[in-house]
Amino acid sequence: MMAKRIEYDVLFVGGGVASLSAAHRLVDLAKQNNASVRIGVLEKGKDFGAHVLSGAVSNPRSVKKLFPDYETNGFPLEGKCAQSNVTILGRKKAWDMPSFFAPPELNKTGYLILSLSEVCRWMAANLHEKVKETPSIVVDLYTGFAGQEILYDGNRVAGVRVDSTGNAENDNCYAKVTVFGDKMFLSRDLYAKFNLTPTPQTWAVGVKEVWETEKDLSGKVWHTIGFPLLDGSFGGGFIYGLKDKKLAIGMVTGLDSDNPALRPPQILQSLKKHPWVQEMLKGGKIVKYGASLIPEGGYYSLPREFAVDGAMVVGDALGVLDVKGFSGVDKAMETGMTAAETLFAAVQKKDYSAATLGAYKQALMDGWVGQELKKSRYYRWAFHENKKLFSDYLPTVVNGLDDANIYAGGVSAFLSGPAGLIGSALDLKKLMDGGTEIGPVQWKDDRTNTKPDFKAKPLAEPDGFVKGTVYSTADVVFYANTHYHHGNAHITEFNAEACKRCIGRYHGSGNEVPCAGDCTAEVHEVREKDGVKYHFMNLENCVQCRTCEIVCPEKNLRVNGAEHGSGPDFTGL
Amino acid sequence: MLKVVVFIKQVPDTSSKAGVNPDGTIDRARAKRMLNPFDRYALQKAIEIKRQYGAEVTCVTMGPPPAVEVLVEAFEHGADYGILLTDKRLAASDTLATAYALHMVVRHIGAFDVILTGLQTTDGDTAQVGPQIAERLHIAQITYCEGLSISGTTLSARRVVEGGFQEMEVQLPVLITVANSATPLDYKRFGDVAAVKEFLRHPEEREKRIKIVSLDTIGADSARTGLVGSPTVVGKTWKLGEIGGSCVVFQGESMEREVSELIEKLKADGKGVEELINA
Repeated sequence: MMAKRIEYDVLFVGGGVASLSAAHRLVDLAKQNNASVRIGVLEKGKDFGAHVLSGAVSNPRSVKKLFPDYETNGFPLEGKCAQSNVTILGRKKAWDMPSFFAPPELNKTGYLILSLSEVCRWMAANLHEKVKETPSIVVDLYTGFAGQEILYDGNRVAGVRVDSTGNAENDNCYAKVTVFGDKMFLSRDLYAKFNLTPTPQTWAVGVKEVWETEKDLSGKVWHTIGFPLLDGSFGGGFIYGLKDKKLAIGMVTGLDSDNPALRPPQILQSLKKHPWVQEMLKGGKIVKYGASLIPEGGYYSLPREFAVDGAMVVGDALGVLDVKGFSGVDKAMETGMTAAETLFAAVQKKDYSAATLGAYKQALMDGWVGQELKKSRYYRWAFHENKKLFSDYLPTVVNGLDDANIYAGGVSAFLSGPAGLIGSALDLKKLMDGGTEIGPVQWKDDRTNTKPDFKAKPLAEPDGFVKGTVYSTADVVFYANTHYHHGNAHITEFNAEACKRCIGRYHGSGNEVPCAGDCTAEVHEVREKDGVKYHFMNLENCVQCRTCEIVCPEKNLRVNGAEHGSGPDFTGL
Repeated sequence: MLKVVVFIKQVPDTSSKAGVNPDGTIDRARAKRMLNPFDRYALQKAIEIKRQYGAEVTCVTMGPPPAVEVLVEAFEHGADYGILLTDKRLAASDTLATAYALHMVVRHIGAFDVILTGLQTTDGDTAQVGPQIAERLHIAQITYCEGLSISGTTLSARRVVEGGFQEMEVQLPVLITVANSATPLDYKRFGDVAAVKEFLRHPEEREKRIKIVSLDTIGADSARTGLVGSPTVVGKTWKLGEIGGSCVVFQGESMEREVSELIEKLKADGKGVEELINA
């Protein structure tokens, strides 16, 4: 049988919230204009949402724009934030900052509490419903298929190869425009080919658990700093009360850390040991675990162009998260909706050139996404450049917090004028607010920050926690419901000798290698055979977070999209 | 060209929370749905026969309208035709009634050479329907089959038996229940999935390949199906977790001693076990 060329007008690579927002908007526009359009969406998870993980508390503006009737149309809400706290954690105590101290971006009162995996699942199902009666609009949703390689026609993006094992014509999916909403799983190749990134993206890794608890904490939101992240790494915790007596608890840690062994799942376990958190978890049980990367570079890490001939980039692949408010969902959705307007015009004009598709960048950067990203353009950089804020000053505040009454003054000083305290020439707070102009910042790859001879200060952990509430990493990974089909080989190690070099360097200094030390799912380990240490991967554990690739000092690993619906099942996270 | 019929079933997804109704039956509405995993081996074997000898593969399922999803999945794996038998009067059919209804579907199809089924389903777990269909059709059956080859009208098969295997030859037509050891499973190919999405968009093509039939279409007697046609009675169901109890390991000087201790223990405390069996 002759294979038929599979081709769409618009192909979305990655079925996350940015792609699905774009697809929805595009369908809406086509319906309003009685236009026909053929759309394909590739999602590597076994279901939509299976590989999607976020906090998430979101400004309702984007959900409202895309689904004006979101409160009644079945859109999955976990609740509305009624009480938003920024909480400083000592080793024993917790202190909710008065709202006038807390950064306004972290005030989430009135925002939507979401399970982003459920949102994506619903958006995909709803997309099907939307086009059921409109044969002129085709929407084909594929689950269990990841883009594996970008296909070019000259310098024009022509689509993607879907199957890593096949090279037949019908393993390819072609499109007039390929939209990458893939958190850079594949679009990093696009960036490299066209040299689109002026400065690398800087990433954080987030790990998250969902619990069923005895207490009803619905509508309550906490963002925490302090314990247990006292090694100088940038990051913090989040605890969101969901409906039906569920609780989302997570920890985000910057991968620009000096520490080669962050052990993200264990940072989260430490957070859970805090007496204040223990109180919330009492009598509860864990439901799910997962991990995901977060692009934190912001404004200056955005690519030079958001489109090339035949392709566009949206969402986390673009990197529009605003780390100051720790918010990305609304912006990711807005990138999708803005891209869709440009896409619709392109389909109408039958012009898929970079010039036409490029209008999307202008529209996005002139809108609120661009303005907000610009305002907080130095926020993350300020912390990167002043690691003492987290390594020296924060522990001091935290210790003060545990010593009864002196903390209020300490925290107040930390927030009002930390610049003076760390002796920086810059007015840090003004910088964080975007009030100072210091020109573009130049990030280095996260992998260049880890120090083989890093000495972690031992973390004094609270005792008295209930044993069944914390887990070893091996145990917690079980709750990611990960399943791999036979023959998966989704992480490529290019050169075994490079791994041996890295092991020599890090183990030689008494530290773990970054891939193993930062892994969220016990995939990487160092084994020994005949006196020789080598890198080994337990691929069946992998939750597809891609941290190892980001932190590998030798640039020796590449994580590819899982195939055949393999990987974790984050549904409910 | 050989005509192969595969019986498949949609079952509650074991990874979702399928509740139990107050009357002890499975609450199917709440559960996510999936293709019975055992049936994938039957389907895979059918596709292999198609590739090796040339065949037309028809998948048959019985269930409420959403069961058409498993037919679509079968198409994505390479099946040619699908038949959904759906009728309210089939609700609560036991194996006797189900096998009656399904054998009537085969009679409705007409000519066939090989019928393939999975070993059992993950919901009912009886492993009875396949053999019953063969009996009703008065054809040979080979259960727990893990290998087969066809030459003319003769089919040679190897079946799993306790402690070994058995080789046999039969004349077509034959019904085979396919063991999981019969074949490794293929993954769906992107091109196949795309092609199915395409044909589902064309009503004529869709109607040609998917037939939805009722008891009346296949000329079945509704008195022999559903609750009225099912002699099976569900006595009582338990949630395993609720039975409770704890595990005792007997460790003694000798096996004899351990066994006698166990017997003593059962005599003394074993009342619950008897009740459970007699309930």
